[in-house]
Amino acid sequence: MGILITPTTNVLVQGITGKEGQKAVVAMRDYGTMVVGGVRPGKGGETIEGVPVFDTVREACEMISDISVTTVFVPPFAAKAAILEAIDVGIPQINVIVERIPIKDTAYCLAAAREKGLRIIGPSSLGHITPGIGRIGVVGGPKSQVDEIFTPGSVGVISRSGGMTNEISWQIRKMGLGQSTAVHVGGDMLMGTTYTDLLRMFENDEQTKGVVIFGEHGGVYEFEIAELCASGGYTKPLAVYIGGKFASAFPEGVNVGHVGAIVERGKGVVEKERALSEAGVMIAEKYEDLVSLISARI
Amino acid sequence: MNLYEFEGKELCATHGIAVPKGIVVRRGENIFAAYTALEVEEVVVKAQVLSGKRGKYNAIRFCSSFEEVATACEEIFQMQVQGQYVAAIRIEEKLAIAEEQYLSISYDNQTRQPILVHSKKGGVDIEDVEACDIRKEILDIRKEDVGVVDIPFAQELWNCFLGEDARQVEINPLVKTIDGTWIAADAKVALDDDAFYRHESWKNFEARTMMGRLPTDREKEVTAIDAGEDYYRGTAGKYIEMDGDIAILFSGGGASIANMDALIKTGLKPANYTEYSGNPPREKVRDLAKIVLSKPGLRGLWIAGGVANFTNIKETFHGIVDALDEIKPAYPIIVRRAGPYEREGMELLRECAVRNHLDLHLFGKEVSMSETAGILARHVN
Repeated sequence: MGILITPTTNVLVQGITGKEGQKAVVAMRDYGTMVVGGVRPGKGGETIEGVPVFDTVREACEMISDISVTTVFVPPFAAKAAILEAIDVGIPQINVIVERIPIKDTAYCLAAAREKGLRIIGPSSLGHITPGIGRIGVVGGPKSQVDEIFTPGSVGVISRSGGMTNEISWQIRKMGLGQSTAVHVGGDMLMGTTYTDLLRMFENDEQTKGVVIFGEHGGVYEFEIAELCASGGYTKPLAVYIGGKFASAFPEGVNVGHVGAIVERGKGVVEKERALSEAGVMIAEKYEDLVSLISARI
Repeated sequence: MNLYEFEGKELCATHGIAVPKGIVVRRGENIFAAYTALEVEEVVVKAQVLSGKRGKYNAIRFCSSFEEVATACEEIFQMQVQGQYVAAIRIEEKLAIAEEQYLSISYDNQTRQPILVHSKKGGVDIEDVEACDIRKEILDIRKEDVGVVDIPFAQELWNCFLGEDARQVEINPLVKTIDGTWIAADAKVALDDDAFYRHESWKNFEARTMMGRLPTDREKEVTAIDAGEDYYRGTAGKYIEMDGDIAILFSGGGASIANMDALIKTGLKPANYTEYSGNPPREKVRDLAKIVLSKPGLRGLWIAGGVANFTNIKETFHGIVDALDEIKPAYPIIVRRAGPYEREGMELLRECAVRNHLDLHLFGKEVSMSETAGILARHVN
């Protein structure tokens, strides 16, 4: 059982008529995920890839029951309105695939979602996948590739990078293991769902025996992992790779990697690795070492 | 984008925050004219840099005559402040200070909301102020009222933060003069690049880099790649010029930093940091690749990315092939990539190599990215 989706999850696609939205409909359905509706103002009544399109999220949810997950594929300037629509209707899990949303709009949506107890994953998240159960967004790529990389297993994957979600999942598979759930949390400065939110869920998930994380220099979220482990909130094996050692040669303020990865003194790779290893977390020197470290412990 | 003090102060002033009377001078400009235009004898001469502790590094000078101002300017223009290039100098009236406080608004990672930070002990680094002397208020981004009444300029700064799409606004010190008026003696503002479409005026900001120097021509050229209405459809406009001789074309923000670390471990030196991500069209990648390969003295090219989820490898490699066809490099080229249409993409590169007699080596996902860093090192050395 996945930590974020089940075989019967009904999924909505906001921005379904766009190029990326349509691609995601096909990708999700090919992997057995039930895409039950789409939204595009002014295009209500049409169908895309056989999926009914509605003018508003509210209308979609009135016509189709039990929509528990939505995915947002609109352009950045339309993102705030689209996310707030989903929040207003109360969809429990809102996956924000959109990149380059102004931080003010993200903060606004996160505040509104938190008030109603709804989960936002992203922004700038490609989505997530629970092998054999389903996927949200296009994680893993085309059907033939996703089957080559993903297979049900015991390793949870969390990554700041979409490409590395796939790359690390591939390394896991190459080692003869499988994944329980792989989540791309997005690379923005403000994250709707953080490492620690997911680690708590992996802790309670029977299938997951250990977790690997691809993190980055900059920001404070990796420090929260150390706190969670130290306080006993997460007890399974955990291996973390933090990229961006080279960035310490840059002056403070330089931004390399994702938007959230700004060079800040005291928040670099070295400080993060130290805090994590003090909390008993395994540190990978190279990203592919994540897999050898975790496989030795599960 | 980080703003210089003088730009930050202009924004503050438009939101009703008092700032000292001042004037900006650049290299080669008439300092005498600027000083006399100010009509104040006692002034502060301040280096305009994007960050850095100016006071500690003697980049802020108090002067009482034109001669002193001229000397200060001459010296400051030759300085680097904590690795930062001095773009200009601001000469402003010296304040008669009775009290210095600290005030800022930025985003708090934990609550994921804006946070107002205030201290009555300003004028020093906020990191050096004891926790008991710091007041923190989490603000609700959905409310226009800051909800704090007993801090000078709190509402004005909040208006500035919201209205200007800032990621950070900091006034340190926030000064109370001996006649009891509050005034912002400094302003540090960072704007949110992703909100550019709401601010037509941002186009007028001069080019800048955090690298302690002026942007290079290649860095300036690259910024044009992602401009236009399709700006969010894949990005290819990231290029930081570095001292080494290995050209870099990485895909994906995460893979790029992992690969930079791996490259440096092999002892090779990158000529640039470059990354394209999302699903950029052929043209964007071509423009980027041409700029990357235009740097003189290159000894190798590393094209690397993870197993792409949805980036079209054929499309992006087509852009790289366009550039290789034109430039025909003689140095080794190592490629590691996988993902949708990888077969077609690799085939394009293979044909391009044959056509142009390139020393090109292709690897798929059977070899890790880090391993190909070692392969590159063996070919280059």
